[in-house]
Amino acid sequence: MKKNVKIVQFAKKLVELSKEGGVVTEAGVSEVLKALKQGQHRNHLAVLKLFRNYIRREITLQTAVVSTPSNLNQANLEMIETHFTKKYNRPINVVLQQDDSLIAGVRVRVGDDVYDASIAGNLQRLAENVY
Amino acid sequence: MKATFITLLLALLMPFSLIALEETHTVSRNDLGEVDALESLSPHDILDHAKAVLEHGEEVANVEANKLVMITEKFGVSLPTLVAQMVNFCLVALALYYFAVKPVTKTLDERQQKISDGLQYAEEMKVQLAEAERERAAKVKEAAEEAHRILSEAREQSKELIEKKTHEAAAQAEAMIRKGSEATERERQKMLSDVRQEVARLVVMTSAKVLSRDLSDTEKQTFADSATQELAGIES
Repeated sequence: MKKNVKIVQFAKKLVELSKEGGVVTEAGVSEVLKALKQGQHRNHLAVLKLFRNYIRREITLQTAVVSTPSNLNQANLEMIETHFTKKYNRPINVVLQQDDSLIAGVRVRVGDDVYDASIAGNLQRLAENVY
Repeated sequence: MKATFITLLLALLMPFSLIALEETHTVSRNDLGEVDALESLSPHDILDHAKAVLEHGEEVANVEANKLVMITEKFGVSLPTLVAQMVNFCLVALALYYFAVKPVTKTLDERQQKISDGLQYAEEMKVQLAEAERERAAKVKEAAEEAHRILSEAREQSKELIEKKTHEAAAQAEAMIRKGSEATERERQKMLSDVRQEVARLVVMTSAKVLSRDLSDTEKQTFADSATQELAGIES
């Protein structure tokens, strides 16, 4: 189904309104939703769906999921957060996730980008090279 | 046929001719005997003799005339009857000629013409047959030469075809061998790749199991720190 251009532009504008300092915040999203509820746009449902998708994407882009089988200390987490914030030139929040399949090491996913420094990833790359 | 008719007419006129000839002959013999006797006489005697001969001739003529009259009377021959018979004979002969002889002659001529045409046709046929025989012999000879030529060409072609097929078979065999070798090589490479993949998979799996079982928490923490450093170092 072809998206209505006006709806898309409106949803993107709503996403920009939800940001505070370039970061999507819960308060901003709540205010936008409240305004939408009061305004009752003609394509209300479609706008909401698009707004939800864009907010998810923004949250994904500003979140670094750090997977590791063991706990990382706070210093390492801050190092990762600082590094990727600097790299992507936007605020990046770090979310820690335990993954025993990695054996050891760290794997960081920011949006669609994956940075793997785990033993499982190294073994996988080794196997692919051997293939 | 005309000749036959003329012969018939002559045969009918033969008695009259014989009679006239006999008379002429008799007179000539008498004249010759008297000429021989005159050579020994004097002119006066000859004159007398001539007179006597004339008289005798007149007498003889009278006797002959009487004899002829006597003959004709004896045989019942009279001049009008003879003329009428001759006229009748001519009429009959003409009728026979126009109504019997001429058609028969015409038929015979036509038949003769047909026969001559047939003979000519037969002669022409003979010539044509000889010509046809020559042509047949020439064609048979030509056909034999053509057959010989075709046979030679067929032999040449079969020889070339055999050589061509032999070469093609050799090429096909070579191609099949090459393809077989390539297929074998591909299969070997595939087997090697499969073995390599399987070995790598086993190595990775074994390493993962060994590492996950044997690494202590401290080692894992140390590795995590170094990994974090590595990520930061790579990207910095």
